[in-house]
Amino acid sequence: MIEAFRLPSRFGAQSLGGCYAPETLMQPLLDLEAAFCAALEDPSFLEELKGELRHFVGRPTPLTPAPRLAAKLGLKALFLKREDLTHTGAHKINNALAQAILARRMGKTEIIAETGAGQHGVATAAACARLGLACTVYMGVTDMARQAPNVARMRLFGTKVVPVEAGQGTLKEAVNEALRAWAGRCDRAHYILGSALGPHPFPTLVRTFQTVIGEEARAQVLDQSGVLPEVVLACAGGGSNGLGLLLPFLNDGLRRVAVEAGGHGTALGEHAARLDGGRMGVLHGCKTLLLQDEHGHTAETASISAGLDYPALGPELAALALDGKVEVRRASDEEALSGARMLCETEGILPALESSHALALLPALAAEGVTTVLLGLSGRGDKDLSTYQTRLGI
Amino acid sequence: MSLNPLLPFIMAGDPSLEALPGLLSEAKALGLEAIELGLPHSDPIADGPVLQAAAHRAIARGATPLRVLESLAGLTDSPDIILFTYLNPLFQIGVERLKALLLPTPVKALLVVDLPFGEEPGFESELHSAGYPMVPLLAPTTSLDRASRILSDRPDPGPSAPFAQRFAYVVARLGVTGTGQDTDLGPVSRRVAELKARSERPLAVGFGLSDPRSLASIRGLGATPVIGSALVQELSDGRSLREALASRMSDGA
Repeated sequence: MIEAFRLPSRFGAQSLGGCYAPETLMQPLLDLEAAFCAALEDPSFLEELKGELRHFVGRPTPLTPAPRLAAKLGLKALFLKREDLTHTGAHKINNALAQAILARRMGKTEIIAETGAGQHGVATAAACARLGLACTVYMGVTDMARQAPNVARMRLFGTKVVPVEAGQGTLKEAVNEALRAWAGRCDRAHYILGSALGPHPFPTLVRTFQTVIGEEARAQVLDQSGVLPEVVLACAGGGSNGLGLLLPFLNDGLRRVAVEAGGHGTALGEHAARLDGGRMGVLHGCKTLLLQDEHGHTAETASISAGLDYPALGPELAALALDGKVEVRRASDEEALSGARMLCETEGILPALESSHALALLPALAAEGVTTVLLGLSGRGDKDLSTYQTRLGI
Repeated sequence: MSLNPLLPFIMAGDPSLEALPGLLSEAKALGLEAIELGLPHSDPIADGPVLQAAAHRAIARGATPLRVLESLAGLTDSPDIILFTYLNPLFQIGVERLKALLLPTPVKALLVVDLPFGEEPGFESELHSAGYPMVPLLAPTTSLDRASRILSDRPDPGPSAPFAQRFAYVVARLGVTGTGQDTDLGPVSRRVAELKARSERPLAVGFGLSDPRSLASIRGLGATPVIGSALVQELSDGRSLREALASRMSDGA
C-alpha cells in the first residue's frame, strides 16, 4: 500500500491545489499517483503513448500561419496551434488517451469521465473504444442539449452517457456525479478527469499530458519564424488547454495570456471569470479561485461556451496568475462570436466556441501594440454549429 | 462503556430550520447521546440523491451556514451534535469566527467529508484546541496502516470524553451516502473486528444502513450504526423522529 504522495500537490505562493477528497478516494488517488510516476519512467509506456499520439491522434498538429486575419487586425504575424485537427477535434484527446493507457496498465476495466462541451467525453469515448475499456460519461442536461452532436458521437463509440439533472445541468454537476460514481466503483474503475482540476494528482497528471501542445508549438514557431512571439494566448476553462500551451513558454521573455469566459455580464452568475470574480475556496478536491456566494456555496456561472462554463480556475493556472506569470483576461459571449466569425471569414477555419474566446482577445492585444501572437486553437467548431447559426443569424 | 444504540443523521433546514430545536429535543428525549447534523452544502460530492435533495431544499429555504449555527446557539435540550459538512462553507466563515459561532452551541465535533488528515493542519489543530475535534473517517479503501495513521492523527481523548469526540466513523461500503440495499456487511464486520482488536475507541458504522436487521448486526459487532438517508427521507415525508426511530433504536425487531 502506498502511504503518501511523492509529487508536490501544491502550487504557487498561496499553496493552491491539494487533495481535499473523501477518504474513500484517498487510496485510489495515492495508487494513481504511483502508477503515473512509474509510467513516466517506463519506456514502454512512453513509446506506446508517443505511437498512439502520432498514429491515432494525428500529432504533431500543424502550426498554421494566419496572415489574412493578422493583416485584418494589424498584427505582423499570427500563428494558430491546430488542436482542432486532432482526432476527435480538440486537445482533450491528448490527456484522455494517455490516462486510458495508464488505466489499462493499472488493471482497471472501466472508465468514468465527466464532460462539459462534450469534447473530453468524445475523446475519452474514442480512447476507450480503441483500448477496449468500458466507458461511462456524466454530462449535464443543459450541455447535452447544446452539444447534441457530441452526445451522439459518444454513444456511437459505445459509451454510456448519463444525464445529470442537478443544478444548472452543466460541467460542475457532471464532475460532482462523476466523483460520486468513482467512489462507488474505484475498485475497478479509473476516473479520467478532463481538465487540470480536482484533487491531487489530477491537476499535475492532466497538464503533464497536455504540455505536448506547447512543446510542439514552441519548436514550430521557432522553426517557421526564427523568433518567439510577443504573446502566447489560450482560452481557459479549468486550464488543461491553457497550461498545455503556456507552460512550455514559462521561462521565455514573453506574455502568457489565458482568456476566461466573460459571459453576458459582470455580476455573479453572469460569467465564468474566476480571476476577478472568484475568491479562494475548495471545490471538487482542490483549493483555488472559485466563484461562490458569501456562504461558500458554489455560484452559478454563464457562458455561451460549455467548455468554459465552470466556477473554478484550475489551481496551477490560478497560482501562475496570482504570482504574475500568466495574465488572465476575459472575453464576453458576443466578443467570442465575433472572434469566431473573423477566423471563419479570413482563414476558412471554424473554431470551437471555447477557442473563440482566445480569438476574441486579439483586437485588444493589437490595440495594446502587440505585433506577434501564437494562439492555441483548442478545438473545432462543428459541435457549436447550431449556436453559431442561431446567434450569428446565418 | 455502554454502547450507543444509534447515531442518527438529520439535515439542518430540512424540513425547516424552525423545526430543528424541536427535532433535537425529541432526539434527546429518546435517549440519544449524539446526533449528526448536516450543514447543507451546494456541492455534496460524497452524498447520494436523498441527502443532495435535502441539502438543496434546505439551502433554497434559507438554511445558510450562519443561520444554522445561530439557530443552535443557546440550545441545551439536545444530544451532542457532530456537525457534518464540507470544507468550503467552514473555510469561508474562517476559523476564528467559526470558533465563536460554535461556542454557544451543542456542537462537540466536526465531520468534514472532504478534509483528509494533514491537508489543513493549522485549521484542524485550532479547532481541536478549541474543543472541536475532527471525526476520523475510515473507508473500505483505507488500508489498516493508513487507518492507524488517521486514528493517531485524530486521537481518542479517552473514556472521560463524550462519544461525539471519541468515535471513529467506519464507512460500510464503497460509494456515497444512502442508496444502500442489501449492503454486504461482511467486509465492514471484518474491519470493525480488526479495529476493535487494536483500540478501545468507539466506532460508528454508516453508509447504506437503514433496515432494523442491518442496524442490529452492527450493534452485534459492538459498534454504533448510523442512519442517515432513510431517516432524512422519512422526516421529509412527514414522519416524526420518534416514529422513524422506533423500530431502529433496539434489537427488538
